Amino acid sequence: MSIPDEKLMAYADGELDAVERAQVEAAIDADPSLARRVEKHRALRSKVSSAYASVLDEPVPERLLNAVRGAPAAARDDRVVDAGRAPVARSRDRMATRAASWSWPQWLAIAASVAVGVVVGRGVLTSPRPSIGTESGKLVAQAALDDALTNQLASEQSRSAPVQIGVSFRAKGGELCRTFSIRQADTLSGVACREASSWSVRVLARAEGAQTQPGNYQQAGSGMPAAVRAAVEAQIADEPLDAAAEMAAQKNGWK
Amino acid sequence: MGHALEAVQRQLVEILPRLRRFARTLTRNSHDADDLVQLAVERALSRLDQWRPDSRLDSWMFGIIRNAWIDETRAQKRRNRLFTVAEAGENVADAASEAHIHRLSVEAALAQLPEEQRMVVALVLVEGYAYKEAAAVLEVPIGTVTSRLARARETLEALLGGAEGGLP
Repeated sequence: MSIPDEKLMAYADGELDAVERAQVEAAIDADPSLARRVEKHRALRSKVSSAYASVLDEPVPERLLNAVRGAPAAARDDRVVDAGRAPVARSRDRMATRAASWSWPQWLAIAASVAVGVVVGRGVLTSPRPSIGTESGKLVAQAALDDALTNQLASEQSRSAPVQIGVSFRAKGGELCRTFSIRQADTLSGVACREASSWSVRVLARAEGAQTQPGNYQQAGSGMPAAVRAAVEAQIADEPLDAAAEMAAQKNGWK
Repeated sequence: MGHALEAVQRQLVEILPRLRRFARTLTRNSHDADDLVQLAVERALSRLDQWRPDSRLDSWMFGIIRNAWIDETRAQKRRNRLFTVAEAGENVADAASEAHIHRLSVEAALAQLPEEQRMVVALVLVEGYAYKEAAAVLEVPIGTVTSRLARARETLEALLGGAEGGLP
């Protein structure tokens, strides 16, 4: 009699009722290979469970005991991050997660302060045709940056292009945004989002450390300043656009 | 109510080691696992009214940990797609003892499983839950638990089968 492996597994796990158990045991008596399969299931079970057994003997960290003692009303006020936020991200990338609770206006404030401090000193606003200008108090892309944001596809861009496009994504507000890097004496990176007829530069920061890797789509994020990464993480509505979606968005005028 | 809260808190302290173990099967980093437990405890205490005192507190907590973890992995996956994260192998530093090597090999094998299968393994093989109990925590039919467990076992068997220990 053939016994499906799922049933043998359930038998090994003690899941069968008396009738089914008797059937399986009769089959095992008749076929020793079934007994070996049952044994395999049991061995795997003990292998897996023994691997985690020692966790039970570890001392429980004080912070968890405190969490249990903390009455619901006694919310901790020293927490910047909302308790509903991802715990792993909190430990892994505190900056990005804290940033996730910021909204565009806060980013704009940062962009503005960074822009004054960094951009003005670095020629982006000056020679020969500035890549970023202001329009009714907002930072907007111009010239080479505007051209790249509008026409350049990350999947097809030349490595030597002065502006490199990173990821494109739809923001929570519905608008399409793209990250970029402008290579000059220094590399400036930022996020620009499409508004009516121009690209509004929402975040701008100087790249950290080494030059960003030009033209490498996979690396587009890793060379980005933390502020840019954090802004993307905070504002992205769903997933970054893949190459096909990016092309479609461009054809559609980034609407 | 104050009395009931105290009772729950006592029970929570008792099951904390198991909550930590469950979280550890989901995330290999022990600090992350404790973050997850802490978050789950905070969430649980803030919505105690949703817990039926005649039901199992451990199952309820596993469900809260599971949901918190799903939220987190979604965010994490997206982050990983956006940005390359190079921190694999952070736990592989000092494989001191045979037990440690065994644990690392099992952790590595579990990490290969799809999330939904890993949770079944955590509840049934590690926690010792019956299929039916696991199905209730995961909010899926019992047949789904069975088939996920069978597939997970096949993978684990292929990765861990044969000689004891040894990294796959």
